[in-house]
Amino acid sequence: MVDNELENREREPFAGGGDEMFGDKAPRRYQRRRPRQVIPDYVDWRDIDFLRQFIPERGKIMPRRISGISAKDQRRVATAIKRARSMALLPYVWE
Amino acid sequence: MANRTYEVMYIVDPETPVDKVGKLNEAVGQLIEKQGGTVVRMDDIGTRTLAYPIKKKTEGHYVLFEVDGTGQEIMELERRMRVNDMIMRYITVRIDEDRKKADKMRLKREKRASQRAKFRATEESAEPAPEAQA
Repeated sequence: MVDNELENREREPFAGGGDEMFGDKAPRRYQRRRPRQVIPDYVDWRDIDFLRQFIPERGKIMPRRISGISAKDQRRVATAIKRARSMALLPYVWE
Repeated sequence: MANRTYEVMYIVDPETPVDKVGKLNEAVGQLIEKQGGTVVRMDDIGTRTLAYPIKKKTEGHYVLFEVDGTGQEIMELERRMRVNDMIMRYITVRIDEDRKKADKMRLKREKRASQRAKFRATEESAEPAPEAQA
């Protein structure tokens, strides 16, 4: 009896969708942004104002799916940010 | 071998007197020259607040060098910077390759732009020509 009840309860949310595998979480969706930033040919690791554009409040490097820039550019920006961080030009974390 | 460009930046302890920092910079320049490199640019950026404390200090005196050389002088310089108490932190970045790539990209873009301009120009000049004849 108990088993049956449980089964019924679990089956209900799945009635409409095909995402049983991921529980009740809806598949993650995000809006891909077109890049707002213009990446110069030479990404200078000392140019903090430029690099700040890729750092949200938390201090992490903005992922590519949000920044929307090309993989090559993302790599160059990421290394520049890391260099700036090691020289205390940019913080590793903001509270 | 002898054409590499490096950017060397170091943070000096802010409590060291200014004349001592000047002397240190001079010594660094001399060391580079002695090891066969050339100082392209020397920039004493000055005191700046650090993004996070280093050795319990919240400020630092930044100095930037741009060096042309073989890498030999960088090796010696880094070895000395490591043992120097005044220098809190340093970084060396090789920039000649990235600069070359950037120049190449710029050239490519300019070439494409000029070609596009040429194409448009011929299109426009071809049109009014028959009118002038008629």
